Amino acid sequence: MTKTVTMTTAQGSFTIELDDAKAPLTVENFLSYVRSGHYDGTVFHRVIKGFMVQGGGFAPGMKQKPTQGEIKNEANNGLKNLKYTLAMARTSAPHSASSQFFINATNNSFLDHSSESAQGWGYAVFGRVVSGMDVVDQIEGVATGRKGGHDDVPNDDVMILTAVEVV
Amino acid sequence: MSGAQAGAQAWQADLGWQRIDLLSDVHLHADMPRTFEAWRDHMLGTPADAVLLLGDLFEVWVGDDARHQGFEAECVSVLRQASAQKVLAFMPGNRDFLVGDELLAEAGVQRLADPTLLCCWGQRWLLSHGDALCLADQAYQQFRAQVRSAGWQQQFLALPLADRQRQARAMRDASTAHQASLGPQHWSDVDDAAAAQWLADADASALIHGHTHRPGTHALPGGGLRHVLGDWDFDTKPSRARMMQLSSTGLQAIDLGDVA
Repeated sequence: MTKTVTMTTAQGSFTIELDDAKAPLTVENFLSYVRSGHYDGTVFHRVIKGFMVQGGGFAPGMKQKPTQGEIKNEANNGLKNLKYTLAMARTSAPHSASSQFFINATNNSFLDHSSESAQGWGYAVFGRVVSGMDVVDQIEGVATGRKGGHDDVPNDDVMILTAVEVV
Repeated sequence: MSGAQAGAQAWQADLGWQRIDLLSDVHLHADMPRTFEAWRDHMLGTPADAVLLLGDLFEVWVGDDARHQGFEAECVSVLRQASAQKVLAFMPGNRDFLVGDELLAEAGVQRLADPTLLCCWGQRWLLSHGDALCLADQAYQQFRAQVRSAGWQQQFLALPLADRQRQARAMRDASTAHQASLGPQHWSDVDDAAAAQWLADADASALIHGHTHRPGTHALPGGGLRHVLGDWDFDTKPSRARMMQLSSTGLQAIDLGDVA
């Protein structure tokens, strides 16, 4: 059965359909953060027009939130980093994702899995935005700058007010 | 144009990177100690997440067995220290095309094909050393095809190290004399039509290359751009080193020396 999450931001709401058949571990991990309220009050802290919007790890003021452990990278599940899909962000280590995710703002085929190497692992897609794409477009378009050693931080906080599983 | 027409190999930046440095034509050589120091300081000090070395890092490279000796060993040590902090990748140039996998593995450096399509932050940049596009110099293109062939390389690498070093010195002297006799205005440059074709084949809008020691930006037929990195020299005054840095906002030229 398809699982669905609605995120409400100051810009409006969008709904995400999760692919728990193809990305079971990633979906379970994402839902556990949703259920614990981890994403409520976090911001989209990295917004790059024509590329992606990333969030799920920071409270306003670039304060990093504690997370659960790192999860296995399911990027080899055949799902592609197409526009409006969600994928897990991570460090350079392939299996290092925790709570941060990003929404692709374009077709980012070079983020797809190509081989089981550090360079080729890619980023695990686990869902897609099915309504409220205009809200995602609005977030992608906000003005950004450099803040606290980070590039591409929105000048005005783009906050996730609530993230709720739709049952 | 060996290896050039088959389409560029894609090389992807990590999602989380913020800066990528591009540099070429450092021409590291024991006779150029200040250039070595400037390069070392940059490699170890740059805040970039990755440094891409686009050819002619070394003034000459006669085989990886030279890497254990004095100056070459110092260069390898810098690469190894830098690669512990950030991602390094190397594309061969016309002077260091004999850099082998042994050296790269030991130094923790990835290999880049020429050309390479760099994908970062949704941008697509075509990277090349540049010599493969200097088509007007037919004698050089013949020489290039010869020395890039596996047969020639096997034969050359089978020679004793001292013989290879002697030959390399002779080739470098001949090249310097040839360039001096022509004068800079006659040095071969990148063929803009061929560069535009490379861009079209790779679906990229800009090429970044070195080799010609003529830093600048040129419009190409068809609307693309060609950005040219500069060579490094901190052993003569004024010093010069034009590199470039990529970020989510695009390309920025950076002059590390006196010349801007």
